Amino acid sequence: MFYPTSHPWSTDQSLGDHLAERGVSRRDFLEFCGSMCAVLGISSTMLPKVAAQLEAIKRPSIIWLQLQECTGCVESVLRTAEPSIGDLVLDMVSLDYQHTLMAGAGEAVERAKADAMAANKGKYILVVTGSIPLEANGMYLTIGGRTGREILEEAARDAAAIVGVGACAHFGSVQAARPNPTGAVGINKIITDKPVVNIAGCPPIGDVVTATLVHFLTFGRLPEMDSEGRPLFAYGKRIHDQCTRRAHFDAGQYVEVFDDEAARKGWCLYKVGCKGPAVFSPCPIFQWNTRTSWPIGAGHPCIGCTEPYFWDTMTPFYGRLPNVAGFGIESKVDTIGAALALGATAGVAAHAAATGLYQLRHRKQAEAEAAAGSSTPTKEG
Amino acid sequence: MTAPSHPAPGARRPPIEVGSLDYARKVPPPSGDYQWIYLWEKPLRFMHWIAALCIVLLALTGFYIGRPYFVPAGDPGDAYLMGWFRFVHFVAAALFVMTGIVRVYWLFMGNRFERLPALFPVRKRDFRNLFRIVKFYLMIEPEKAPKYLGHNPLQQLSYTGMYLVAALMVVTGFAMYGQSNPGGLIYTAFNWVNPAMGGAPIVRFVHHVLTWAFLIFIPIHVYLALRADALERTGTISSIISGGRFVESTEEFVDAE
Ligand code: SF4
Ligand code: SF4
Repeated sequence: MFYPTSHPWSTDQSLGDHLAERGVSRRDFLEFCGSMCAVLGISSTMLPKVAAQLEAIKRPSIIWLQLQECTGCVESVLRTAEPSIGDLVLDMVSLDYQHTLMAGAGEAVERAKADAMAANKGKYILVVTGSIPLEANGMYLTIGGRTGREILEEAARDAAAIVGVGACAHFGSVQAARPNPTGAVGINKIITDKPVVNIAGCPPIGDVVTATLVHFLTFGRLPEMDSEGRPLFAYGKRIHDQCTRRAHFDAGQYVEVFDDEAARKGWCLYKVGCKGPAVFSPCPIFQWNTRTSWPIGAGHPCIGCTEPYFWDTMTPFYGRLPNVAGFGIESKVDTIGAALALGATAGVAAHAAATGLYQLRHRKQAEAEAAAGSSTPTKEG
Repeated sequence: MTAPSHPAPGARRPPIEVGSLDYARKVPPPSGDYQWIYLWEKPLRFMHWIAALCIVLLALTGFYIGRPYFVPAGDPGDAYLMGWFRFVHFVAAALFVMTGIVRVYWLFMGNRFERLPALFPVRKRDFRNLFRIVKFYLMIEPEKAPKYLGHNPLQQLSYTGMYLVAALMVVTGFAMYGQSNPGGLIYTAFNWVNPAMGGAPIVRFVHHVLTWAFLIFIPIHVYLALRADALERTGTISSIISGGRFVESTEEFVDAE
């Protein structure tokens, strides 16, 4: 719908004017605003207001830092469901620094970043993917000779909003899993004086990133968040409560192994370790790859990638209970429990037998004493 | 008309005629004056049996929820097995929690065998007796063990321990339950437990493991009650049904006031 243009969005032009220049019809624009309202859970009566607000915005500047990460989140964001949305936000906004997507390299882009931050002081949006390693003075991650921490602190100082994208940015994801050799932490551990949105997921769904940015551009503030900093419009409900396999869960129909009849019938993945009952994520609704499918839909249990420290808390991925200090594999914990309960029963049975023996011995003693006692008077008498 | 419906707690009824109880051959028949001691008031007895029923239901349904075993075939529109198990679990849990709330109220309103101080061996003498009670159960000089009308110090500790286990079960249960309605009352009140314990799976684990604490407690508890009833012949089992038990009027009790 939108094509690259030789007229880039100039700094003082409003979005509405720029779209008109690019030949985007009013109708298409409203359609886009409508889809954003739907994603953000904004009532459609607000549509004219959202459209007016969005139309009036000036070209925002985005600085995108990629720290200790695998680029998977960038890949995910580039595949936002509707190309028009991805284009609108990622192509047309001024993505002033994104070292994977930039054509330039080396000192030139570092300088461009510094220039953009200076020019848009207090106005640019900072997007961060990846965690920050703190061990060895942060030497596990350096870009242009500076540590991740330095780079982040500098970029965060004058940012209007900070959006952490992916499990790494908030919880350190796999590199922060025990024993966390590089001391990886999320940005919220370093930037404590500003709110940081947590677009959780490993990776998160691109649409959520786009919608969060649109929310900020439209309303000038970040969307409402839960206690983990995740936007409620996306992370407000459990997977389990939106899951297409839920009817099978309630029915008691479960996949036992991945290639059984139940798996072919699409039954619930609870017994093969699905973490859906404790995971807040929009996966079942937004879905992946232009709403093609999603993990549970494709037959894989949810591994809880949007939850805090999921590599530590949600493992083993194919079991119901966590492996607490080598103690938790459920068969093990139930074996130990059953052994103790049986042991207690056997113990009381043994105690009962011992009590019986004790009673018997004492009764005999008492009888002997009684016999001795009664024999004395007869002798005397 | 003037007589209270129940004797005051710990009060002794006038001696009753026991008659010849020489039904157990070779065992000296109970002798002397027996008196009925009123220990457990009606609310406490009700709470005991409601909690017992709830715990059995919760454990049975809980094990199914933790690892569902029956597999109903056919259309999920017709089957609702997990649904029913969870329904029973939640109803029993609600009843259990209400019982718990009344128990807390009764910690302040109950008689001296039921009130808060009766939950712990608070007095020095009870603390010292603890050791002798342990010896009693090990059948080392059992006749020297101190006697209690209400709970002995070891009972106090183990029952209070089970109260704590029950409280943990309730808290972890609500932490999981609340997630189905984020922002709701239960979520708001209990969701902090999830991060505090290190994630919802740990909460599930704790809830699962603590079930075994009940299942280990039950055989021991039932056995010791039966044993006391059989050996002491004071109607211990009956005391959680009728509220009181019989003791010989000449016997000395540590907590006889
Ligand atoms: S597949 Fe997972 S999320 Fe879906 S109903 Fe089963 S347990 Fe819940
Ligand atoms: S289904 Fe679960 S693990 Fe998979 S992407 Fe969604 S939230 Fe992450």
